[in-house]
Amino acid sequence: MDDLTFYDRLGLPRDATQEEIRRAYRQLVLRLHPDTNVNKGETELFIDIQQAFERLSDPKKKADYDLQLPPEPKVVSPLNISTYYSQPSLVRLSEPQVIYTLLELNIQPDANLWMSPTPLNISLVVDCSTSMQGIRLDMVKLTAIDILRQLHPDDIFSLVKFNDWAELLIAPGGLADLKSAEMKVQLLQAGGGTEIFRGLEMGFSQVAQFHSNQRINHIILITDGRTYGDEVSCEKLADQSSALGIGISALGIGSQWNDKFLDHITSKTGGICKFIPDGGDIRNSILEEITRLGSSLTEQITINYQTTPVVELSTAYRLQPDPSPLDPVSPLILGYMPRHGTMSVLFEFVIKDIPKNVTPFVMAKGILDIEIPRHNIRTKYINRIIFDRQITAEPVSEAPPAVILNAMMILLLFTMQERAREEMSKGDFDSATRHMENLATHLLQKGEDNLAQSVLNEVAYIRHNQSFSEEGEKLIKYGTRSLLLPARSGENY
Amino acid sequence: MIVCPNCGNQEMPGALFCKECGTQFTIISRDPTMAIPSSLADHLHEAQSEDAEPVVPPTPDDASLSLFLVETGEVIPLEGLTEYTLGRSAEDQPILPDIDLGPYHAYEYGVSRLHASIKISQPYALLTDFDSANGTQLNGQKLSPHKPYPITHGDIFSMGKMKIQLLVNR
Repeated sequence: MDDLTFYDRLGLPRDATQEEIRRAYRQLVLRLHPDTNVNKGETELFIDIQQAFERLSDPKKKADYDLQLPPEPKVVSPLNISTYYSQPSLVRLSEPQVIYTLLELNIQPDANLWMSPTPLNISLVVDCSTSMQGIRLDMVKLTAIDILRQLHPDDIFSLVKFNDWAELLIAPGGLADLKSAEMKVQLLQAGGGTEIFRGLEMGFSQVAQFHSNQRINHIILITDGRTYGDEVSCEKLADQSSALGIGISALGIGSQWNDKFLDHITSKTGGICKFIPDGGDIRNSILEEITRLGSSLTEQITINYQTTPVVELSTAYRLQPDPSPLDPVSPLILGYMPRHGTMSVLFEFVIKDIPKNVTPFVMAKGILDIEIPRHNIRTKYINRIIFDRQITAEPVSEAPPAVILNAMMILLLFTMQERAREEMSKGDFDSATRHMENLATHLLQKGEDNLAQSVLNEVAYIRHNQSFSEEGEKLIKYGTRSLLLPARSGENY
Repeated sequence: MIVCPNCGNQEMPGALFCKECGTQFTIISRDPTMAIPSSLADHLHEAQSEDAEPVVPPTPDDASLSLFLVETGEVIPLEGLTEYTLGRSAEDQPILPDIDLGPYHAYEYGVSRLHASIKISQPYALLTDFDSANGTQLNGQKLSPHKPYPITHGDIFSMGKMKIQLLVNR
């Protein structure tokens, strides 16, 4: 720790504000407090952080410290950060206005040379309730065996089955006895209810036991049902998981599972939530998820941000690598970064008022953290993010960049269906069906005939039954979301 | 405040799309509306004023309002809505006009994709130009954009250089 400055210890850039210092400290304390932390040697880390905070949180001591600080070493970040705005500048208005910002992260191509693959520490948590009986569980079993056979010796894998309680079928650690592990999977039987918390809790303790920031630590939940009564516990577990840097992903099979709930849980941890329709490819979906984790560089991209008081971050939406709405609160969890590829996030800021004589006007500023394995050692890179615009007297009319327009056009379809769902839940069937019909028109124009047809079928269903069909609702939600996938948008533009 | 030309929904300044109906507010200039040289437009205007009163064909019985395309002699009944957007459809345009003049050579005539609207209102209908590239003229007068103008039976308006007569079935 000797060569680390107090700023490094708190993971802050040297221009950190007092508010940022306090926030960083709070978060680290939550993770490292001797009462809660599990790993050896972290008590020491906690003391270091305590010391750093005491110095930096006192503006006078901080100023003294800054003077004796050696110049900042030049760090070559492997990350390229680009920002795009929907408008070249802002104009002061007497009413609230909105601006869109796209944040794009890329790994420098030559950085791949020195980045090593990250081993996995994952737990597969499998719902074995009665409804999984038959093809669903059979496919999951086959896939689990595939995974067992393909694991890298460095990977840590565990398998948890759950229904009304949870059972550790394959303990984490070396897979010395592959044959008996396969046998255990083969003998899995379905029966009982779905208590997701039981499964998640056991999966979590397996991953936490071997948790290491040199690995991708992740829980994959496979379920086809709804959990009752333990939602709050699941939510708490997700928060705990997220603080430790353990991601949770969910694969929902069929139409009975609770997509809203699992979207919520997974997005808290930067994980993803996928829908496998009846007759969908269960095996491929699970393997894709494993591949995704295997090819990711890190799961730990977060932005600690603060908006200027007159500005509100109203929406944050991850467009790539996995399209999903993000919870617009700080710290913003962006999720995982693929080794090859791009991460892009669209932000919608509502500006209530612009103070006089401020230019550039800072809408939000924050610190983006990314941990990248460099020659087997993970290095933390701290990047300062500022969203700002010049204020001009007259509006500068310029077409918004194509990246923003294209993203917005598809995002619009997703928001339209979200809106229809919301109206449905309020019992406003007329507005909901009208919005669904608008959505169908747009989908037809995009050449998404199948999805448009599903939407129209759903409109007919709603007119008849005054409610969504469970299958149709998910099909439309995840269908519009997947329109944002790069391969698809490539076709369209 | 931005008022959506398609559905009247209000969005904040800076919005790119209408969240209600999906209309795009900024037009990408990939397929710009064909600009008509002003001299030609003037010439057409003169020609129009010299024209004898065109023969008004009978309106279809089942429509209270219809549009008569002066050049081609086509009659388009306005049915089912209280407000109609006029324009031409183009590829990857998110919102289609209610009355698509594309098949009647709207592009060549300089009609914008969302050019104008006609709202049925007693005792007149109201014609509103959407700040179109080549403008809308009513009986030879250029309309200020986004302002509704009363229009009645027999009035001729031109979108770009496409001349249309409003027919009201009384």
